[in-house]
Amino acid sequence: MLFFGVGSFAHAELTIDVTKDIESGGIPIAIASFGGGAPENIAGIIASDLQRTGKIAPQPAGSRADYAVTGQAQPGGARGYIVQFQLAGAQGAPLLNLSFDVAPNQLRPVAHKISDLIYEKLTGEKGLAGTRIAYIASGGGSWYLVVADADGQNPRVILRSSQPLMSPAWSPDGGKLAYVSFEGRRPQIIVQDVYSGARRVVSAAPGINGAPSWSPNGQRLAFTLSKDGNPEIYALDLATQSPARLTSGSSIDTEPVWLPDGSIVFTSDRGGSPQLYRIGPGGGAAQRLTFEGDYNARPTVSPDGRYIAMVHRRGGRFHIAVLDLQTRQFRVLTSGGLDESPSFAPNGKMIIYSNGQRLTAVSLDGRIKQDFVLRGNGRDPVWAPYGR
Amino acid sequence: MQHFTRHLIAAAAFALVAGCASTGETTGEQQTTAPQDSVTEQGITAQPGQDAYSYPYGQAPIQQDTYDTSGGAVAGGQTGGEQPPGQATTGGGAVAADRIVYFGFDSSEIPSEGQAVISANARTLTGNARIITQLEGHTDERGSREYNIALGERRANSVRQAMIATGVSPQQIRVVSFGEERPAAAGQSEQSYALNRRVEIVY
Repeated sequence: MLFFGVGSFAHAELTIDVTKDIESGGIPIAIASFGGGAPENIAGIIASDLQRTGKIAPQPAGSRADYAVTGQAQPGGARGYIVQFQLAGAQGAPLLNLSFDVAPNQLRPVAHKISDLIYEKLTGEKGLAGTRIAYIASGGGSWYLVVADADGQNPRVILRSSQPLMSPAWSPDGGKLAYVSFEGRRPQIIVQDVYSGARRVVSAAPGINGAPSWSPNGQRLAFTLSKDGNPEIYALDLATQSPARLTSGSSIDTEPVWLPDGSIVFTSDRGGSPQLYRIGPGGGAAQRLTFEGDYNARPTVSPDGRYIAMVHRRGGRFHIAVLDLQTRQFRVLTSGGLDESPSFAPNGKMIIYSNGQRLTAVSLDGRIKQDFVLRGNGRDPVWAPYGR
Repeated sequence: MQHFTRHLIAAAAFALVAGCASTGETTGEQQTTAPQDSVTEQGITAQPGQDAYSYPYGQAPIQQDTYDTSGGAVAGGQTGGEQPPGQATTGGGAVAADRIVYFGFDSSEIPSEGQAVISANARTLTGNARIITQLEGHTDERGSREYNIALGERRANSVRQAMIATGVSPQQIRVVSFGEERPAAAGQSEQSYALNRRVEIVY
């Protein structure tokens, strides 16, 4: 298995180790090197992608395996390379047989695409190899907003600041990031177009401007303002720029996130300790959601709206925990320490978070764990939605 | 031929850097106008373009080096044991110990040592109504980042209330919370955490 990983990870800025596998070791799949002399190790990328899922166990070509991948990547076609691959079952029965005409700089993305096609065929779930993450890095007196591929490759700085940056949030179409910037030594909420770099200040009120979160349709932004004396939840219509205040009282209300039905889950210490509450799209009476322990904060919602992951404190340690809104079951997923900032993958199967040292990810059932090893530091990770 | 190629690469690299630099500045100046319903405070530098530069996707100059944070300090220019204890190293210039109020774990109550720091600074402020102070609230790194922003503000508001009680005009006080984003001390010891739970009185 390692045989494949080494080559493709040699230049990685951020690499990922699967530290805990499922008991079976995953579905065995033999992957042969792609012939044709392309400048990327396509078989290696596919093997790394599939191994990272924790559900598929790549093997060298010729190994006894349930499935086999073979392919070619050779110069030709209208764009530069023809990449062609087959996925076959144990008896050689073809399950997938596709080819792509791509530019040389699209060889890596097409390898991720092939990984996701294989993963979906074998597991029935959408893959994550072609997705991206955003995170904050800092050092030497600067803060950076970085967007990288889900395998940690191609980290791209899209913002550099000499003041803190925090709380990035992807728009539902994956084209924009909202975040908090302390430029000018005071917090503002800014929306930046990921591709053009164009920025717009969405909120610069006195006091806290924090915790931006996009509504499911991308037309509204919820966030925290303390301009009226203490932190309250607001929702802003981005087209009309009209804000509506959704909470009131003397407690801390912050970290709003939207459920698919437009209601909002947020952190509040109105009961004496931080816990998660839910209010309707227009505010109103709050329903308390968490009762385990004396610290549950920073909610994040799964794409289907069923699960809420959060930061949970017990025994003085901070863990990532998840609440199933259907069954009301509460589960602690991580062994804990300084775990914070959970974010669901767009297929809802993995949660990326920061453990205070580096980025790491855990599956929703707690069985698969991935460590992201950055060259520098990283925190506040957010998994991008499917989209562009 | 070799020379020609080298010049071509150099020219291309220059064009790329020049293009990005101008993009960053333009973006900073044009796009960061505050919306109508926001209030821009006076007296504190609030020109976003000065501190931050955005880049079109994949076009940040010298991509890898710009965020190689492995060798240097982490947030806030921490330098570990090189700084005397109690001295802030938060990039915007060190804040003297007689302008820092420290707090207990999970608390925004002002200890007696902190009350002395507040009284001394309040005397300066009441003696000169033209001085405006910014109270900057901070927390240790444990727990949720945005919730820590709220806790840092609560601490800064405690200091604000204490100053007003001593006779300082509310007009002389601004409050901002950095939460856990600008630690004064590196490391995950109780000692570091104690140094990070603080309000800095900046003027």
